[in-house]
Amino acid sequence: MLKKIMLTSAATMLLTSGAFAQDKTLTISVYSFSQDAFKELVYGPFEEICDCKIVVETGNSIERLAKIEANKANPVIDMAVLSTHDALGAARKGLLQPIDASALSNYDKLYDIAKDPLGDMLGVGYTFYATSIVYRTDKVTVDSWADLLSPELAGNVALPDVSTNQGPPSLYMIGKAMGDTSTDLTASIAAVGENADDIVTFYVRSSQLAQLMQQEEIWAAPVGRFAWGRFKDNGLPMAWATPKEGQTGGMNVMVMTANNGNEELAHKFMDFWLSTEIQTALAEALVDSPANSEVVVSDEVAANLTYGAETVGQLDLLSPDTILDKRESWLDQWNTKVVK
Amino acid sequence: MNSRVATWLILGVTLTFLIGPFLIIIAASLSAGNSLAFPPQGLSLKWFIKVFEIESFRASFGVSMFLAIFGTFTALVLGIPASYAMTRYKVPGAEAVRLIVSSPIIVPGIIVGLALLRYLVIPTGFGIGPALFLAHTALVLPYAVRVVSASMENLRVDMEEAALLLGCSRFGAFVRVVLPNIRGGILAAFILGFVTSFNQVPVSLFLSGPGLRTLPIDMMAYMEINYDPSVAALSSLLAFMSIGIIFAAEKFLGLSKYV
Amino acid sequence: MFENRAVGLALTLPAAIFAAALFLVPVGILLSEAFRIDGSWSIGAYIDFFSSARNRTVFLRTLKLGAFVAGVSAIVGYAAAFVIVSLPPTSRGRIFGLVTLPLMISPVARTYAWLVILGRTGFVNQILVNLGITDTPFRILFSETAVFIGLLQLFMPLMIISLVSAMENMPKDAVPAARILGANWFQVFWRVILALTREGLVIGGTLVFTGSMTAYITPAILGGSKVLMLETLLYQRVTVANDFVSASVIAMILIVMSFSANLLLKRIATARKSR
Repeated sequence: MLKKIMLTSAATMLLTSGAFAQDKTLTISVYSFSQDAFKELVYGPFEEICDCKIVVETGNSIERLAKIEANKANPVIDMAVLSTHDALGAARKGLLQPIDASALSNYDKLYDIAKDPLGDMLGVGYTFYATSIVYRTDKVTVDSWADLLSPELAGNVALPDVSTNQGPPSLYMIGKAMGDTSTDLTASIAAVGENADDIVTFYVRSSQLAQLMQQEEIWAAPVGRFAWGRFKDNGLPMAWATPKEGQTGGMNVMVMTANNGNEELAHKFMDFWLSTEIQTALAEALVDSPANSEVVVSDEVAANLTYGAETVGQLDLLSPDTILDKRESWLDQWNTKVVK
Repeated sequence: MNSRVATWLILGVTLTFLIGPFLIIIAASLSAGNSLAFPPQGLSLKWFIKVFEIESFRASFGVSMFLAIFGTFTALVLGIPASYAMTRYKVPGAEAVRLIVSSPIIVPGIIVGLALLRYLVIPTGFGIGPALFLAHTALVLPYAVRVVSASMENLRVDMEEAALLLGCSRFGAFVRVVLPNIRGGILAAFILGFVTSFNQVPVSLFLSGPGLRTLPIDMMAYMEINYDPSVAALSSLLAFMSIGIIFAAEKFLGLSKYV
Repeated sequence: MFENRAVGLALTLPAAIFAAALFLVPVGILLSEAFRIDGSWSIGAYIDFFSSARNRTVFLRTLKLGAFVAGVSAIVGYAAAFVIVSLPPTSRGRIFGLVTLPLMISPVARTYAWLVILGRTGFVNQILVNLGITDTPFRILFSETAVFIGLLQLFMPLMIISLVSAMENMPKDAVPAARILGANWFQVFWRVILALTREGLVIGGTLVFTGSMTAYITPAILGGSKVLMLETLLYQRVTVANDFVSASVIAMILIVMSFSANLLLKRIATARKSR
């Protein structure tokens, strides 16, 4: 019996430390989108040249951020990709350390706005995305953010929850369509609250939308451009709206967790991800729009991406500071007016 | 109304409600189309093949199997002596012990997972994997104690006393007389524990980390992104696995005597 | 019975210590956290929790769904159990096996099936549209109805099992005797069957009620963020807002409700025995 117990505990140790047994491991925390493509285009090739193992944690940024904060004293994650405002939030909590630009050979190739979006080199932008509305062309036409709350879409639309990355920018654009450009979002949250019964669900992960669209539960939803690939080939007539109020969007950054003890490998991985070759591959696979200015793609590919600094310059963005500072008040309004 | 008709009507409606969804899942998993639908669009086994090609399913299946087998095993190692003592000895505070041991059944799983994450994993640097293992063991412990105690109570004490009179040591009597006679109960406890642990979701929600996920959690994550019939195929396979185990146990051991 | 207490204790202690150290202690700390604000004892967290309209809605919805599921399970359960008990032994065993079968299938799979059935393009809507009952498919998913249906299917077997075993212990001639004495079917049910199976009803009811209240998968998949229940709210508070205080409060509510249901069960069961 004792022998069996010993065997059991030995096996437990193996199970739990198996991933960490190799000499070099890099643990990264990323969005759950397109993981098959990332594995093929980024993680796999990097593992070959670094002779290390990459362990991947996926989830939405808030969930992953909560885990990074929980493990602050003893970081599990070495490197993470987050939205700019979540990264700024993490930086304010002291969870991050500066990235060493001199360790990134591809740093100078980045568009200027991607070089140091958070200040103090706490993050480096690796992709941009536009946020607009995907919709079923056979059911409706969408040319304004106000259409999300129109009678035609009543009962057939999903909106992002206010706690998600797409939430506040979408609410901001809905407000803009209503003639209110204040970042307090009072008008738009109230309008969403009044129409809450007509909204199928408030999604927390955009990955969920693909399923809802295929099940024909919804006809339209605001989503980030990075998710477009999931919709355009789903067998239904889909389009990406260009609303008259413009498109919103965001930038995602790479960050380095404080005191992770794995800085060298993490820098190498970041540099690899930012290289022209990898950024081009990711762009061509329509996974991420490039932040590296040397990436050149065909017009056809470009049409499916948020390509180039000019395009990004036209996006109507909320600044990371605004999002971070106003989030509490938005949540309060949301909880009283929308979720009741 | 004819009572025979009423009988079969009631049974038919109830069973359709309880079993029907499961049959629909099996049918949907045989679809040749790309999205989950009933009736299926054409017939094929391609989604059953796809299930085996999805790497994360293979990894999380391994994790769940490991937890279910070794977690239940550990629970039995702890539970059998406790059940034996509680049915054969006057244990001081036996009621308290019984309550402590069965508490994991009363507290919702999500709270167990959260508590272990916050007060074991985070402050002490204890690994998520071992914590998950301990949580699953604790979860199965009440079943182990309950089922094994029940079959221990059915075993007459005088058989053991006879062995002692004939010169057996107490430990010897336990190994030679008690254990062989309760092995059906132990197996029943094992199967019940295995199924409970394998299908468990709430406990594991908070206790998942990089590269470490149980199968049900992985299935929920997968189906959020992909609305294809592969989760239906996997669900069918798992259901057949459970049914197979239960059926075999019932056939050879009369499992229902112990549950 | 053997007399040696030390041996008895030595055999039980490992299991007890394991459950206490790994289970009771962390859960205990978690629960006590919701009573402490800035280092002193307080019930402020509970007042805060219930002062939010959303939280009250979620709390009441959880209670309501738990009670509904238990109630409907009981009604269907009595009919089904009565029929099952009256079957000849072989077919009774088989039907009983079919009723318990769903309990062995992963709840994820069982809940997933409802997506296919209740969706806009799902089975139910297809039938309704084809029969000409409706032109536009009904929205069933992401509503309390969907969660209710999912929970009912998940937990009804527990009720049927409890009632079947209670009815098996009922004296065989109780129902015919009452009939001969002139009782109508309503009286038979109320005075005879219900009175003799009360324990089974209480056990089944408790299992179904607490099970529905603490289910996670069904409200998560079929309800989503618009039909939150306590368990999904707890998960959302932690992962979205990093709000552990609300999580502890919800945990306490869930445990108190489970315990109350359990105590109720014990009281009613012992009250009957002593009579």
